[in-house]
Amino acid sequence: MHTLKRSKLAIFIGLFPALVIYLGIAIVPIGISFYYSLMDWNGIGSKSFVGFDNYVRMFQDDTFWLSVKNNLLIMVTGLIGQLPLGLVMALLLNKALKGSGFFRTVGFMPVVISSVMVSLIWGMMYNTEYGMLNNLLKFVGLESWQQNWLGDPKWSILSISAAYIWQNVGLYMVMLLAALQNISEEVNEAAELDGATGLRRTWFITLPMIRTTLMVTIVYSISNSFRVFDLIQVLTGGGPAHQTEVMTIHMYNSAFVNLDYGYGSAVSIMILLFSLVVITIANRLGKEKA
Amino acid sequence: MNHFTKRTLLVSLTAALALSTAACGKSSDNNADGGSSSGDTVTLTMMHPWTTPNIDNDVYKARIEQFQKDHPNIVIKTDEVPSAQYKTKLRTLAAANNLADINVVWPGADLAPLVDGKLLEPINELMDTWKDILPESALTPFNVDGQQYAIPTKQTFVDIIYYNKDMLSSVGYDAFPKTYSDFIDLVKKLKASNITPISLGNKEQWPLQSSMLSAIGDRFTGSDFLQKVLTGEAKFTDPEFVSAISVIDELSKLKAFNTDANNMDSVQSQDYLIQGKAAMLFTSSTVDARVRINNEDGDKFGIALFPSVDGGKGDPAKSAGVVQYGIAINSKLDERKQAAAEEFMKYFVSEDLYKDLISNGVVVPAKVDVPEDASPYLKEMLDLTGKGTAPVFDSIIPTQVVSVIQNGLQALTIGRGTPQEVAQDTQAAMDDYLKKK
Repeated sequence: MHTLKRSKLAIFIGLFPALVIYLGIAIVPIGISFYYSLMDWNGIGSKSFVGFDNYVRMFQDDTFWLSVKNNLLIMVTGLIGQLPLGLVMALLLNKALKGSGFFRTVGFMPVVISSVMVSLIWGMMYNTEYGMLNNLLKFVGLESWQQNWLGDPKWSILSISAAYIWQNVGLYMVMLLAALQNISEEVNEAAELDGATGLRRTWFITLPMIRTTLMVTIVYSISNSFRVFDLIQVLTGGGPAHQTEVMTIHMYNSAFVNLDYGYGSAVSIMILLFSLVVITIANRLGKEKA
Repeated sequence: MNHFTKRTLLVSLTAALALSTAACGKSSDNNADGGSSSGDTVTLTMMHPWTTPNIDNDVYKARIEQFQKDHPNIVIKTDEVPSAQYKTKLRTLAAANNLADINVVWPGADLAPLVDGKLLEPINELMDTWKDILPESALTPFNVDGQQYAIPTKQTFVDIIYYNKDMLSSVGYDAFPKTYSDFIDLVKKLKASNITPISLGNKEQWPLQSSMLSAIGDRFTGSDFLQKVLTGEAKFTDPEFVSAISVIDELSKLKAFNTDANNMDSVQSQDYLIQGKAAMLFTSSTVDARVRINNEDGDKFGIALFPSVDGGKGDPAKSAGVVQYGIAINSKLDERKQAAAEEFMKYFVSEDLYKDLISNGVVVPAKVDVPEDASPYLKEMLDLTGKGTAPVFDSIIPTQVVSVIQNGLQALTIGRGTPQEVAQDTQAAMDDYLKKK
């Protein structure tokens, strides 16, 4: 009992600095944001209390719903793009391939490059005049497939999705690869003895074994998609005409460009709620199956 | 368990040690700082947007250097912010009550919140310095309720049309068209001969609004319209203004702009013109040095203003201009810093600066003589812009309303919405603004 008590204190002392920092930079600002979201405030002058006016205005704002739609699109394409692709790459690298270290580094590289750099690279590739993508299409004779990738509202958000998937897939690859390497040899050998090879083994043995990591990557991928900002800010700035705005960009533009800090704070509170709801749903679905 | 506790303690200790060492490092830095300030050095921070390859930016930066050479006891620490993000950063720092000691500010709608928040120091007592060189018209934009808050360094005309003379004459125009119908005819002919008529870099959204709509609006509505909108006497939904927005719509439908207009920034749009990828560019007089004066093939490019429109109330000889880059002092400085900042201001914004600028072909708001050896391009520019000044849209209309019309105009370029809708949305934002006031 005595030792337990002491260790609890030690745990508390150990966690305390992190707790203070977490409270200071995460929980308190959320509280302050909520307080601001009830105000009409230009950021500089005096605030006036307006109740839930900002929220009412937000729900009536088409641009806000467009940004929600874009966020969901980024989330869904992120989930179905990043995770399977990351898994396939991890499965390949898990084999004793020649030069797998090299491929692992290459696959992980985009995660390490700063988002601004990623945006600039993709911005150049998507350029209509001298961009690699359009030139490649021209080279193989598919000129009719050439598009104004970032300027045409039909393509712009999908183009951003592609860049977003490319940027993050390496992270999931590494996480899943680590999980794969934790599966003990005995399990694999037993499976082989029972005649489970190839796809069958992947489906019935490997995937269930890395289930927890898969859940973590799903939750991570969802919460990441609600935070995406820098990539889009540099690629399109939310344009043309709000078409590629996600909630974070909408919040930034409202608060910092249009000097409507109350409204911007209301949007930021909604981002929090949306991600909490989606992640809770994902967690529930994951648990029921278990 | 005991073992675990010991290890935790060890880790905490190590962390504590690391923290205290870090703190040591910092305090020794402070000592170094303190040591030099005992020699009476004042350090001032300054935030400015002079990052693009415009000639005037080099002049400003050289002047800051020169000031520090002449004043060894004053150190200016500059924070250079690209102009597209500058205003946002300025507002954000203002909101956080964290402005630099010396700031570059814009007049009108941009200045108002800074003055409301009492963040800038009135400089009425310094005004004698400039009484002989700066006309009233250059000062009033930075004067709010009798208090002077900033001194402008240059005069910008935002609506200069640069055009490629060869391309225009290849479709039969030896001079820039004088009427709107001729202008549209020119656009169609350029289009027919596979030349992109207008180079547009609208990623940052201001070019369509500031460089195009300021002038086009003025042609249709006359120069007092924006002021009247601000007092509620006129509305953006008035037919004249809707006609002005329709011009952007018409040009978009004629595919007058380069296809990647919304993904390019303003500097890239200059490149398109200079490299001969487009025939015209609507932009500010600031780029004259880059496009013409310092360009070997500069004489390929002519300058013009937006032509007259049928039934328009505006004067087609007017150019939309605004005084820019006001230098302002933070109101929260202590005495020593304020004295140093005032010293800097008197030195920086002086006749020498204006002379430097004008001999580099930059239009200034001051009454300084145009030097004998001034570039003929500058004389042409002064000639073109000297016949009256129209207001610049975003220097009069508040930021939040400007952002609505910018998005509306951009929507027109990708075939969304109608001029009528853009006008309604903009007016709705304006009504909202007026109601809150």
